[in-house]
Amino acid sequence: MEENNGNAGAIAKAPPKKHNRFAQYFINLGARIKGWFVDMYGAIKDFFYGFTKAGRAEKKARKAEGPQLSRRERLRRGLKTQSGWLFVLPALALMAVFTFYPIIASFVNSFKQGYSGMTGKFNGWGADNFVRVLKGDTGTGGASFTQCLVNTMLLTFISVPLSTLLALLISVALNSIKRIQKAYQTILFLPYLTNALAMGAVFATFFKIIGTSNNTETVGLVNIVLGWFGIKPIDWVGLTSPHWQLGSLSIPWAKYIVTIIYEVWSGLPFKILILFSAMQSINKQYYDAAKVDGASRWTTLWKITAPMIMPQISYLLVTGIMGGMKQYSAIIGLFGTTMGQDYDMGTMVGYLYNYIELGQTGYAYAGSLLLFIIIMIITFFNNKITKKRTTYR
Amino acid sequence: MRISIQHLTKIFPSRTRGGKAVHAVEDMNIEIPSGGLVGLLGPSGCGKSTTLFMLSGLESPSSGRILFDDQDVTTLAAEKRGVGLVFQNYALYPHMTVQQNIRFPLDNMRIKKEEGNARALDAARLVQIEDLMARKPNELSGGQQQRVAIARALVKMPNVLLLDEPLSNLDARLRLQTREEIKRIQRTTGITTVFVTHDQEEAMSICDTMVVMKLGVVQQVGAPQDIYDDPNNLFVANFLGTPPINIFKGKIAGGKVYIGEEAIADAPWETPFDDQEVFVGIRPEGFIYSENGALTLNVDHIEVMGRDKSVVSTHESSTKPIVRSIIDSDILLPAMSQLKFNIKPNKLFLFSAATEERVQYPVNVFKGRIEGGKVYIGEEAVAETALEDREVYVGIGPDGLMYNENGAFTLQVSGVAEEEGKKVVAAAHENSEKPGVQCFLDGSAELPAETETLKFNIKSNKLSLYDAETKERLSNGRE
Repeated sequence: MEENNGNAGAIAKAPPKKHNRFAQYFINLGARIKGWFVDMYGAIKDFFYGFTKAGRAEKKARKAEGPQLSRRERLRRGLKTQSGWLFVLPALALMAVFTFYPIIASFVNSFKQGYSGMTGKFNGWGADNFVRVLKGDTGTGGASFTQCLVNTMLLTFISVPLSTLLALLISVALNSIKRIQKAYQTILFLPYLTNALAMGAVFATFFKIIGTSNNTETVGLVNIVLGWFGIKPIDWVGLTSPHWQLGSLSIPWAKYIVTIIYEVWSGLPFKILILFSAMQSINKQYYDAAKVDGASRWTTLWKITAPMIMPQISYLLVTGIMGGMKQYSAIIGLFGTTMGQDYDMGTMVGYLYNYIELGQTGYAYAGSLLLFIIIMIITFFNNKITKKRTTYR
Repeated sequence: MRISIQHLTKIFPSRTRGGKAVHAVEDMNIEIPSGGLVGLLGPSGCGKSTTLFMLSGLESPSSGRILFDDQDVTTLAAEKRGVGLVFQNYALYPHMTVQQNIRFPLDNMRIKKEEGNARALDAARLVQIEDLMARKPNELSGGQQQRVAIARALVKMPNVLLLDEPLSNLDARLRLQTREEIKRIQRTTGITTVFVTHDQEEAMSICDTMVVMKLGVVQQVGAPQDIYDDPNNLFVANFLGTPPINIFKGKIAGGKVYIGEEAIADAPWETPFDDQEVFVGIRPEGFIYSENGALTLNVDHIEVMGRDKSVVSTHESSTKPIVRSIIDSDILLPAMSQLKFNIKPNKLFLFSAATEERVQYPVNVFKGRIEGGKVYIGEEAVAETALEDREVYVGIGPDGLMYNENGAFTLQVSGVAEEEGKKVVAAAHENSEKPGVQCFLDGSAELPAETETLKFNIKSNKLSLYDAETKERLSNGRE
């Protein structure tokens, strides 16, 4: 013991500190992300090395070592190896115009202060756009970035898992019925064929507190039903809709409920389609085996069916979350182009449109870049989590 | 656990309207003793798997009963029967490790984790996969997967172990090994085991009782060797044995068996007297080469297989393209286009051309003699004949006796039973060659009760005579 106290610290290296699994995961993750950046830096460095003086000299030397070829032969070989580019050229040209240029332009333009989309004039370079977007100090009375971000996150992370779970349960039910299965399938798929704006408008009517029809005041369908249970009409989608206030942040919970119901309902058909067909392809013998092994229906669902269709479930979660990050049309359909009262139901994409409309393109650029980063981070974790559960094949 | 299958029937209704319903299993009756290893054998679609699934409870029978010991389990749910089932393609859950797979039935029984793990390990040890517990099924070979499936079936200590084509997904070498393994596991655990296979070799090598099925109907039940040596019908004879039995078109005429124009053997004692068209089945090992052999085959080629050689030949009466005969490799065969063979009597089977049933008759055989134009059994003169005096065997068909108070022939009666409108008399006679004498009487025949002896007259067309020394059939002048 004494020895340990006296010398251990001095001679032996202190054993690496043991973190709990969670912390360890993030430490490893950090190291790996650092690794990517190092690799990327190396690749970029190598690429540009070819353009430096030393790089050019090295290239020349390498060429001199190789067999000397005639100009004609070099051309022939060059055509042979590089002709592949010709084939991808049309697609490449289109992508350059509609994909690469916008990405680069929005990246560049987001750093232009006071950029005007119409004239292309700007005051100078800097991160001013980002600062103002994040601070909410845009001075135009447009949507608040924080509000939009919180809305998008909350709506997505509630509605996507909820609709996936519901789709799973409905698919199981659909899978277990034998008669008129096809009819049910068709009915369940119908909402998929309906336009989002139209659905939103119909939903808005359902949830209205007071509307006018033939100059008479009417109450929305949902409030009529609630009335049967003695619940006073709630203004679900209108100007007096109830909300909680957290500092400058508004949580319009009634509108959230409407939006989530809408999202779940409109998201179900596709999810059911995917999950149901996945279930149909599961070998019946697994269910027979589970039956002989004494598994209950509940156990069979969670221990057999769900893991077997995990690839499809994770696909739906990933695409659903990505789609949720980009949601816009549903909000417009439900709450109009003002996205609720003072943009309190604004989403990230709504934010971008809003500032384009206001002519403040610089903020829209900055917002889109932030949205891009956020989606990247979420997708990264999405892949991490779902990959872990789908690698049994 | 004893399994008793009584009148088990499974009918699958037709999928199309007005179509024919499929009788997958028809009126099956089998008793499986506790600790037995039973193989259900038959070609595809013979209802063997359906039977297995009915035993497991995954399919419910259309009619009939299944008893485990004395408990009627016909309508009992699968999970309550306590059966372990190994599927043809194992049905291991791909997302679970080996250990989780094996423990799955225990988890469903809400057994504590430590106990569950211990029992899973025991089961894994039994099938020797305890090193693979952390793997996923797709990281295992076919044989290993199969062991996991068996361990999963055994871990809940089932009363009955059911295996559906357990070896069909394994390669040839592994199959041999796994065969032994299944036998060993069954012997160690003593669990009543039923398995399904379409491979007769597999069935013969593993099981103690074999059930041969065809189109839902049980053809024969018995020990594998007994069924091989004594098939009930053409199907069973054909189905068992590699290489398969040779089948010829032939006939019984005048107490001889003919293939084409050649009389290849005497009709066995067990055959009835009526001349008829038959299928003649000869096992490949039933040929003896002889220069003066009875059956001539056109040799195509000879395959040498080390231990023995296989003569591949043709015959115009054969129902198969080739006739295969297996000869000991020590026997030298002349290089000729035609070879003659004698047939071993116990490798020769006769099947009725009409019904394909085995032509076999429980003929009663007695020692007797001919004296002065009369046939004597013991001291009783039972029939008349034109033959000369000599010692003979007297064959009497079971339906050849008529009860008569003043009959010529006396039997010691041990019992009378009613069966399908017939009276079956079990009796004995001191001159009988067989331990018992059996005869069928018309159901309306009135027999005196409580007697020890009965007298009979003999129908002349059901009586046949054989020379006592040569056992050759004698014409008794009835033709």
